[in-house]
Amino acid sequence: MGFFDKFKKKKDAAPAEKAEGCCCAQKAAAPAAAPAGSNVFPAADLGEVFPGAPKNGKIKLAIYWAAACGGCDVSLLDTNERILTIGEFADIVMWPIATDGKEKDIEAMDDGSITVPLISGAVRNSENEHMVKLLRKKSAIVVAYGSCAMFGGSPALANLVPGGADEILDYVYRKVPSTAAFQEKYHADCAVVPKSTIQVPEGTLTLPVVYDTVKTLDQIIDVDYYLPGCPPQQESITHLLKAVVDFVYNDVALPPKGTEIGVTDKCLCDECPRTKEYARITKIYEPYQVNVDPNKCLMDQGILCLGPATVGGCNAKCTKAGQPCRGCYGPTKLVQEHGASALTAIASLFPVLDEDPTCDEQKIIEIMSTVKDPLGYFYAYTVGKSLIKRTVTEEKA
Amino acid sequence: MADNFEPLIVTFCCNWCSYAGADNAGVGRRQMPPNFRIIRTMCSARIDPEFVLRALSKGADGVMVLGCHPADCHYIGGNYRARRRIALLRLVLEQYGFDPRRLKLEWVSASEGEKFQTTVVNFVDVIKALGPTPIKSEKAIAQSTNAVAYAAAKEE
Repeated sequence: MGFFDKFKKKKDAAPAEKAEGCCCAQKAAAPAAAPAGSNVFPAADLGEVFPGAPKNGKIKLAIYWAAACGGCDVSLLDTNERILTIGEFADIVMWPIATDGKEKDIEAMDDGSITVPLISGAVRNSENEHMVKLLRKKSAIVVAYGSCAMFGGSPALANLVPGGADEILDYVYRKVPSTAAFQEKYHADCAVVPKSTIQVPEGTLTLPVVYDTVKTLDQIIDVDYYLPGCPPQQESITHLLKAVVDFVYNDVALPPKGTEIGVTDKCLCDECPRTKEYARITKIYEPYQVNVDPNKCLMDQGILCLGPATVGGCNAKCTKAGQPCRGCYGPTKLVQEHGASALTAIASLFPVLDEDPTCDEQKIIEIMSTVKDPLGYFYAYTVGKSLIKRTVTEEKA
Repeated sequence: MADNFEPLIVTFCCNWCSYAGADNAGVGRRQMPPNFRIIRTMCSARIDPEFVLRALSKGADGVMVLGCHPADCHYIGGNYRARRRIALLRLVLEQYGFDPRRLKLEWVSASEGEKFQTTVVNFVDVIKALGPTPIKSEKAIAQSTNAVAYAAAKEE
């Protein structure tokens, strides 16, 4: 038993006792054990890893964030006590959130001398692009870590702003109530908006240039392995760790280039413990609008869930807690368009009406219009990787 | 430019009705503009929204989806699925900034060569009025390649 398991057990036992006296059925049954039939994606068996420095010396590890929130960096702590011994087999040469490696330190290294950089985040400005290109040059294996690096993630939703970077900067620095008041009060004649370069008496100061279109990591550099998730879940991370550790200690060959690590071959529904009755959606609900039945499929209850279109690997943590899947693990292996795949599944769940043979298209359009913001919902994480990567403007509109 | 603009239109036809309808139009020697390319699928429900998005992303000016009339589907309910998907997909395309008229859904049966002709003629007229696909416009290309940002970064 690991050190942290002691805490884990206590934690699990506590809410169960509480729940007995609780009248809310939803809370009591939410962490219910998976009934027979739902599959669990097991974490990799890491065994007695990190038994000391590898025979060829420690590997060099870099962890970098481009346009990311930092959640991916924090998710690395989900490896529990193993994070404490990571220093046994790896030197962390760069990790902006935690260590002191700088750009110039990386530049001074030989090409290919970093073994693995885990890069999280999409590429959104010139600094991101410069750094990921630099890391690619200095590294042997590049891992796109997390949904933003892999599919663009939430940052790529910026691609849906028709005016691109100019419109975003203008909105943020001039139109948001707080900044609008500030500009009006202090800079009424000339609004202050950050520029990429400015001349000052001491020389030229520069800031990274914001891009119109947010790019995924593999649209900028060559990527060897992918690990999806927002953030990647513990089970998936252990599979990545096992692949690296096996390679370093046991000379086991790495998986083929381009492999998506830590996912199953099936969709999320395979892991979800809820039972499906193939009910039809007649009205769409948000989870807060209904008492979510803990055992029934969320779609049967009218809650739009991206599970049927999303690859498994996270053990359905969200749906177990009564929240629909938002698709952070991305599409299954054979699909590129995650949103289109989800759209297909969900549109088919609307029932065929008695009047369907005779009604006109307008009626169907009205029914489907009850899906609010379909683009934002179905492509919440995958705009950067979609076929039409950004909004376009009709010239004769 | 708009005068000599010849649109490129991808047409998905279901095997049982619309493809036969297109055949009927041909056998009947009906005059149609040559702007459309037909892709035959077994059913209109076979048309994954990804097909439509892929056609548009590669520069198609418009996409037509033709299927059996409601209640006539060879697979009983395929066209009901298709019409729901296309309706939802049209909302997505609208959010992407496309004119929703660039995606058309129509029911053409095997005997309706004339309807196939009028559908194609009308759709080509609509697309000619709309102009070339916005995905190939200079602005869209500049934005998707981040041309402005690269130029600014070079100046530094």
